[in-house]
Amino acid sequence: MRGIRILLAATLLAGSAVAANAQTISYGQAGALLAKSCGPDINKLCPTVNLGGGALQACMDAKISQVSAKCQADYAMATASIAKRDAAQDAIGQTCNADAARLCQGMIPQDGNLLSCLLEATNVVSAACNQAITDAGYR
Amino acid sequence: MTSPLIRFALAASLALSAAPALAQTQLSDGQILQSLQGFTQTAPAISAEQLRQLVQKHMAQYPGEALTRPNLALDLDKLPQINVQVQFRLNSAIIDPASYGTLGSIADALHNPILHGYKFIVTGNTDVTGPRDYNLKLSQARADAVVNALTTVFNVSPNRLEAVGLGEEVLIDAKNPTSPVNRRVQIFTVGRVGPTPAPIR
Repeated sequence: MRGIRILLAATLLAGSAVAANAQTISYGQAGALLAKSCGPDINKLCPTVNLGGGALQACMDAKISQVSAKCQADYAMATASIAKRDAAQDAIGQTCNADAARLCQGMIPQDGNLLSCLLEATNVVSAACNQAITDAGYR
Repeated sequence: MTSPLIRFALAASLALSAAPALAQTQLSDGQILQSLQGFTQTAPAISAEQLRQLVQKHMAQYPGEALTRPNLALDLDKLPQINVQVQFRLNSAIIDPASYGTLGSIADALHNPILHGYKFIVTGNTDVTGPRDYNLKLSQARADAVVNALTTVFNVSPNRLEAVGLGEEVLIDAKNPTSPVNRRVQIFTVGRVGPTPAPIR
Protein backbone atom coordinates (compact mmCIF):
# COMPACT_ATOMS: atom_id res chain seq x y z
CA MET A 1 0.00 0.00 0.00
CA ARG A 2 2.72 2.37 1.05
CA GLY A 3 4.68 1.41 -2.08
CA ILE A 4 1.77 2.39 -4.30
CA ARG A 5 1.40 5.74 -2.58
CA ILE A 6 5.05 6.44 -3.15
CA LEU A 7 4.78 5.27 -6.74
CA LEU A 8 1.71 7.47 -7.24
CA ALA A 9 3.49 10.47 -5.76
CA ALA A 10 6.50 9.81 -7.98
CA THR A 11 4.28 9.57 -11.06
CA LEU A 12 2.49 12.80 -10.18
CA LEU A 13 5.80 14.55 -9.65
CA ALA A 14 7.19 13.25 -12.92
CA GLY A 15 3.99 14.22 -14.70
CA SER A 16 4.04 17.76 -13.39
CA ALA A 17 7.73 18.06 -14.20
CA VAL A 18 7.04 17.09 -17.81
CA ALA A 19 4.15 19.55 -18.03
CA ALA A 20 6.27 22.36 -16.60
CA ASN A 21 9.08 21.47 -18.97
CA ALA A 22 6.80 21.59 -22.01
CA GLN A 23 5.22 24.85 -20.92
CA THR A 24 6.03 27.71 -23.26
CA ILE A 25 5.58 31.46 -22.94
CA SER A 26 4.21 33.70 -25.69
CA TYR A 27 6.38 35.69 -28.09
CA GLY A 28 4.98 38.83 -26.45
CA GLN A 29 6.12 37.66 -23.02
CA ALA A 30 9.54 36.71 -24.39
CA GLY A 31 9.93 40.17 -25.97
CA ALA A 32 8.81 41.86 -22.75
CA LEU A 33 11.25 39.75 -20.72
CA LEU A 34 14.11 40.79 -23.02
CA ALA A 35 13.09 44.44 -22.72
CA LYS A 36 12.81 44.30 -18.93
CA SER A 37 16.04 42.47 -18.16
CA CYS A 38 18.21 43.77 -21.00
CA GLY A 39 16.72 47.16 -21.91
CA PRO A 40 19.18 49.19 -19.78
CA ASP A 41 22.18 47.17 -21.07
CA ILE A 42 21.02 47.48 -24.67
CA ASN A 43 20.51 51.24 -24.28
CA LYS A 44 23.99 51.58 -22.80
CA LEU A 45 26.06 49.06 -24.79
CA CYS A 46 24.30 48.67 -28.16
CA PRO A 47 22.13 51.77 -28.70
CA THR A 48 22.61 51.91 -32.49
CA VAL A 49 21.92 48.24 -33.18
CA ASN A 50 18.58 46.75 -34.19
CA LEU A 51 16.87 43.68 -32.77
CA GLY A 52 16.50 41.84 -36.08
CA GLY A 53 18.95 39.87 -38.20
CA GLY A 54 21.16 38.77 -35.30
CA ALA A 55 22.70 42.26 -34.98
CA LEU A 56 21.69 42.84 -31.36
CA GLN A 57 22.82 39.41 -30.23
CA ALA A 58 26.20 39.86 -31.96
CA CYS A 59 26.71 43.27 -30.32
CA MET A 60 25.76 42.00 -26.86
CA ASP A 61 27.99 38.93 -27.33
CA ALA A 62 30.92 41.17 -28.22
CA LYS A 63 30.42 43.11 -24.96
CA ILE A 64 29.43 40.16 -22.84
CA SER A 65 31.77 41.10 -19.97
CA GLN A 66 29.80 44.33 -19.49
CA VAL A 67 26.36 42.69 -19.73
CA SER A 68 24.61 42.16 -16.40
CA ALA A 69 24.18 38.59 -15.17
CA LYS A 70 20.39 39.04 -15.09
CA CYS A 71 20.36 40.09 -18.75
CA GLN A 72 22.63 37.23 -19.80
CA ALA A 73 20.34 34.71 -18.12
CA ASP A 74 17.09 36.22 -19.38
CA TYR A 75 18.39 36.82 -22.92
CA ALA A 76 19.14 33.09 -23.12
CA MET A 77 15.76 32.31 -21.57
CA ALA A 78 13.86 34.56 -24.01
CA THR A 79 15.69 33.06 -27.00
CA ALA A 80 15.04 29.50 -25.77
CA SER A 81 11.38 30.33 -25.09
CA ILE A 82 10.88 31.65 -28.61
CA ALA A 83 12.45 28.50 -30.10
CA LYS A 84 10.31 26.31 -27.84
CA ARG A 85 7.08 28.08 -28.74
CA ASP A 86 7.99 27.87 -32.43
CA ALA A 87 8.68 24.13 -32.16
CA ALA A 88 5.43 23.60 -30.22
CA GLN A 89 3.43 25.39 -32.92
CA ASP A 90 5.16 23.37 -35.66
CA ALA A 91 4.54 20.10 -33.81
CA ILE A 92 0.75 20.42 -33.78
CA GLY A 93 0.30 19.23 -37.37
CA GLN A 94 2.06 15.95 -36.67
CA THR A 95 0.77 15.39 -33.13
CA CYS A 96 -2.87 16.17 -33.96
CA ASN A 97 -2.94 14.50 -37.37
CA ALA A 98 -4.85 11.38 -36.26
CA ASP A 99 -7.25 13.44 -34.11
CA ALA A 100 -7.97 15.75 -37.03
CA ALA A 101 -8.65 12.81 -39.36
CA ARG A 102 -10.95 11.23 -36.76
CA LEU A 103 -12.84 14.35 -35.65
CA CYS A 104 -12.66 16.97 -38.41
CA GLN A 105 -12.92 14.91 -41.59
CA GLY A 106 -13.65 16.75 -44.85
CA MET A 107 -12.73 20.15 -43.39
CA ILE A 108 -10.48 22.45 -45.44
CA PRO A 109 -8.01 23.48 -42.77
CA GLN A 110 -7.81 27.25 -43.00
CA ASP A 111 -8.72 30.42 -41.06
CA GLY A 112 -8.29 28.53 -37.79
CA ASN A 113 -11.26 26.22 -38.35
CA LEU A 114 -9.23 23.06 -37.68
CA LEU A 115 -8.12 24.47 -34.33
CA SER A 116 -11.75 25.37 -33.53
CA CYS A 117 -12.79 21.83 -34.40
CA LEU A 118 -10.13 20.34 -32.11
CA LEU A 119 -10.90 22.80 -29.31
CA GLU A 120 -14.62 21.97 -29.46
CA ALA A 121 -13.74 18.29 -29.28
CA THR A 122 -11.29 18.74 -26.37
CA ASN A 123 -12.98 16.00 -24.30
CA VAL A 124 -12.36 13.34 -26.96
CA VAL A 125 -9.06 14.67 -28.37
CA SER A 126 -5.95 12.65 -27.44
CA ALA A 127 -3.94 13.85 -24.46
CA ALA A 128 -0.88 14.42 -26.66
CA CYS A 129 -2.80 16.66 -29.07
CA ASN A 130 -4.43 18.59 -26.22
CA GLN A 131 -0.99 19.12 -24.70
CA ALA A 132 0.42 20.24 -28.07
CA ILE A 133 -2.37 22.84 -28.42
CA THR A 134 -1.63 24.12 -24.91
CA ASP A 135 2.13 24.29 -25.55
CA ALA A 136 1.53 26.20 -28.78
CA GLY A 137 -0.42 28.83 -26.84
CA TYR A 138 -3.58 28.29 -28.87
CA ARG A 139 -5.95 27.68 -25.98
CA MET B 1 -7.10 76.87 0.72
CA THR B 2 -8.17 73.84 -1.29
CA SER B 3 -10.29 71.28 0.50
CA PRO B 4 -8.55 67.92 1.00
CA LEU B 5 -11.64 66.24 -0.42
CA ILE B 6 -11.41 68.19 -3.67
CA ARG B 7 -7.72 67.40 -3.91
CA PHE B 8 -8.57 63.75 -3.34
CA ALA B 9 -11.28 63.80 -6.03
CA LEU B 10 -8.85 65.44 -8.45
CA ALA B 11 -6.22 62.78 -7.77
CA ALA B 12 -8.81 60.07 -8.28
CA SER B 13 -9.94 61.50 -11.61
CA LEU B 14 -6.32 61.80 -12.75
CA ALA B 15 -5.78 58.17 -11.85
CA LEU B 16 -8.87 57.24 -13.85
CA SER B 17 -7.78 59.17 -16.90
CA ALA B 18 -4.33 57.56 -16.73
CA ALA B 19 -5.77 54.05 -16.91
CA PRO B 20 -7.07 54.02 -20.51
CA ALA B 21 -3.85 55.57 -21.80
CA LEU B 22 -1.86 52.75 -20.25
CA ALA B 23 -4.21 50.14 -21.63
CA GLN B 24 -3.81 51.63 -25.10
CA THR B 25 -0.02 51.40 -25.18
CA GLN B 26 -0.10 47.79 -23.99
CA LEU B 27 -1.76 46.29 -27.06
CA SER B 28 -2.49 42.58 -26.55
CA ASP B 29 -2.03 39.85 -29.15
CA GLY B 30 -5.79 39.20 -28.80
CA GLN B 31 -6.61 42.76 -29.89
CA ILE B 32 -4.19 42.49 -32.82
CA LEU B 33 -5.64 39.11 -33.83
CA GLN B 34 -9.16 40.53 -33.63
CA SER B 35 -8.26 43.54 -35.79
CA LEU B 36 -6.41 41.62 -38.51
CA GLN B 37 -8.93 38.85 -39.17
CA GLY B 38 -11.95 38.95 -41.47
CA PHE B 39 -10.23 39.59 -44.81
CA THR B 40 -12.73 39.28 -47.68
CA GLN B 41 -12.03 38.93 -51.37
CA THR B 42 -14.20 42.01 -52.05
CA ALA B 43 -11.44 44.24 -50.66
CA PRO B 44 -9.44 45.98 -53.41
CA ALA B 45 -6.18 44.16 -54.20
CA ILE B 46 -3.14 46.24 -53.26
CA SER B 47 0.59 45.52 -53.46
CA ALA B 48 3.54 47.07 -51.69
CA GLU B 49 4.84 48.35 -55.02
CA GLN B 50 1.51 50.06 -55.81
CA LEU B 51 1.55 51.82 -52.43
CA ARG B 52 5.09 53.08 -53.02
CA GLN B 53 4.08 54.43 -56.43
CA LEU B 54 1.03 56.19 -54.95
CA VAL B 55 3.31 57.91 -52.42
CA GLN B 56 5.76 59.01 -55.14
CA LYS B 57 2.93 60.34 -57.32
CA HIS B 58 1.38 62.24 -54.41
CA MET B 59 4.71 63.85 -53.51
CA ALA B 60 5.28 64.93 -57.13
CA GLN B 61 1.73 66.24 -57.52
CA TYR B 62 1.66 68.24 -54.24
CA PRO B 63 5.11 69.73 -53.66
CA GLY B 64 3.83 72.49 -51.32
CA GLU B 65 4.07 72.97 -47.56
CA ALA B 66 2.54 70.32 -45.32
CA LEU B 67 -0.44 72.44 -44.24
CA THR B 68 -1.40 73.43 -47.80
CA ARG B 69 -1.52 70.01 -49.40
CA PRO B 70 -4.12 67.25 -49.06
CA ASN B 71 -3.54 64.01 -47.20
CA LEU B 72 -2.83 61.03 -49.44
CA ALA B 73 -6.06 59.02 -49.46
CA LEU B 74 -5.25 55.33 -49.74
CA ASP B 75 -8.26 53.15 -50.46
CA LEU B 76 -7.48 50.65 -47.71
CA ASP B 77 -10.54 51.03 -45.47
CA LYS B 78 -11.92 47.63 -46.44
CA LEU B 79 -8.77 45.80 -45.30
CA PRO B 80 -8.49 44.45 -41.76
CA GLN B 81 -5.93 46.70 -40.08
CA ILE B 82 -4.42 48.00 -36.87
CA ASN B 83 -2.32 50.98 -35.77
CA VAL B 84 0.57 50.02 -33.52
CA GLN B 85 2.74 52.40 -31.53
CA VAL B 86 6.30 51.14 -31.91
CA GLN B 87 8.91 53.34 -30.21
CA PHE B 88 12.04 54.11 -32.23
CA ARG B 89 15.10 56.07 -31.21
CA LEU B 90 14.99 59.72 -32.30
CA ASN B 91 15.59 60.15 -36.06
CA SER B 92 16.53 56.50 -36.35
CA ALA B 93 15.11 53.13 -37.35
CA ILE B 94 16.43 51.48 -34.17
CA ILE B 95 13.51 49.95 -32.28
CA ASP B 96 13.47 50.97 -28.63
CA PRO B 97 13.72 47.89 -26.35
CA ALA B 98 10.50 49.11 -24.68
CA SER B 99 8.68 47.96 -27.83
CA TYR B 100 10.11 44.42 -28.00
CA GLY B 101 7.05 43.11 -26.14
CA THR B 102 4.72 44.78 -28.67
CA LEU B 103 6.65 43.15 -31.53
CA GLY B 104 6.28 39.80 -29.81
CA SER B 105 2.52 40.35 -29.44
CA ILE B 106 2.27 41.09 -33.17
CA ALA B 107 4.12 37.81 -33.79
CA ASP B 108 1.73 35.94 -31.47
CA ALA B 109 -1.20 37.18 -33.54
CA LEU B 110 0.48 36.37 -36.88
CA HIS B 111 1.33 32.84 -35.66
CA ASN B 112 -2.28 32.14 -34.71
CA PRO B 113 -3.93 29.60 -37.07
CA ILE B 114 -6.68 32.15 -37.81
CA LEU B 115 -4.11 34.40 -39.55
CA HIS B 116 -1.64 31.74 -40.61
CA GLY B 117 -2.80 31.64 -44.24
CA TYR B 118 -2.55 35.41 -44.78
CA LYS B 119 0.01 37.97 -45.84
CA PHE B 120 0.38 41.51 -44.54
CA ILE B 121 1.78 44.91 -45.40
CA VAL B 122 3.53 46.80 -42.59
CA THR B 123 3.63 50.56 -43.16
CA GLY B 124 5.75 53.18 -41.42
CA ASN B 125 4.49 56.74 -40.93
CA THR B 126 6.14 59.89 -39.58
CA ASP B 127 4.70 63.27 -38.63
CA VAL B 128 5.63 66.34 -40.74
CA THR B 129 8.61 67.43 -38.61
CA GLY B 130 11.77 67.40 -40.73
CA PRO B 131 12.30 67.20 -44.51
CA ARG B 132 9.70 65.26 -46.48
CA ASP B 133 12.18 63.07 -48.42
CA TYR B 134 14.02 62.22 -45.22
CA ASN B 135 10.75 61.20 -43.57
CA LEU B 136 9.94 58.91 -46.48
CA LYS B 137 13.31 57.15 -46.11
CA LEU B 138 13.01 57.01 -42.32
CA SER B 139 9.51 55.52 -42.47
CA GLN B 140 10.67 52.83 -44.93
CA ALA B 141 13.67 52.00 -42.72
CA ARG B 142 11.39 51.77 -39.68
CA ALA B 143 8.88 49.50 -41.43
CA ASP B 144 11.83 47.39 -42.63
CA ALA B 145 13.15 47.14 -39.05
CA VAL B 146 9.78 45.90 -37.78
CA VAL B 147 9.49 43.29 -40.55
CA ASN B 148 13.11 42.23 -40.00
CA ALA B 149 12.54 41.70 -36.26
CA LEU B 150 9.31 39.78 -36.87
CA THR B 151 10.88 37.46 -39.45
CA THR B 152 14.33 36.89 -37.90
CA VAL B 153 13.63 36.98 -34.16
CA PHE B 154 9.98 35.96 -33.90
CA ASN B 155 9.96 33.41 -36.75
CA VAL B 156 7.23 34.89 -38.94
CA SER B 157 7.69 33.63 -42.50
CA PRO B 158 9.26 36.37 -44.68
CA ASN B 159 6.90 35.64 -47.58
CA ARG B 160 3.98 36.84 -45.42
CA LEU B 161 5.30 40.35 -44.74
CA GLU B 162 6.21 43.40 -46.81
CA ALA B 163 7.34 46.78 -45.52
CA VAL B 164 6.26 50.11 -47.04
CA GLY B 165 7.31 53.57 -45.90
CA LEU B 166 4.50 56.09 -46.34
CA GLY B 167 6.56 59.03 -45.07
CA GLU B 168 4.45 61.95 -43.83
CA GLU B 169 1.83 61.51 -46.57
CA VAL B 170 -0.87 59.66 -44.61
CA LEU B 171 -1.58 61.54 -41.37
CA ILE B 172 -4.27 60.32 -39.00
CA ASP B 173 -4.49 63.79 -37.42
CA ALA B 174 -4.12 66.01 -40.49
CA LYS B 175 -5.22 69.10 -38.51
CA ASN B 176 -2.23 68.61 -36.20
CA PRO B 177 0.42 67.37 -38.65
CA THR B 178 3.21 67.50 -36.04
CA SER B 179 1.21 65.48 -33.51
CA PRO B 180 2.98 62.32 -32.31
CA VAL B 181 -0.17 60.25 -33.04
CA ASN B 182 0.84 60.48 -36.70
CA ARG B 183 4.04 58.54 -35.98
CA ARG B 184 2.88 54.96 -36.19
CA VAL B 185 3.23 51.56 -37.70
CA GLN B 186 0.18 50.08 -39.41
CA ILE B 187 -0.45 46.48 -40.34
CA PHE B 188 -2.90 45.55 -43.10
CA THR B 189 -4.12 42.07 -44.03
CA VAL B 190 -3.77 42.07 -47.82
CA GLY B 191 -4.60 38.54 -48.97
CA ARG B 192 -4.12 34.83 -48.72
CA VAL B 193 -0.73 33.24 -49.07
CA GLY B 194 -0.13 29.82 -50.63
CA PRO B 195 -2.57 27.40 -52.26
CA THR B 196 -5.84 26.31 -50.64
CA PRO B 197 -5.05 23.33 -48.41
CA ALA B 198 -6.49 19.91 -49.24
CA PRO B 199 -9.50 18.72 -47.19
CA ILE B 200 -8.72 16.56 -44.16
CA ARG B 201 -9.10 12.85 -44.83
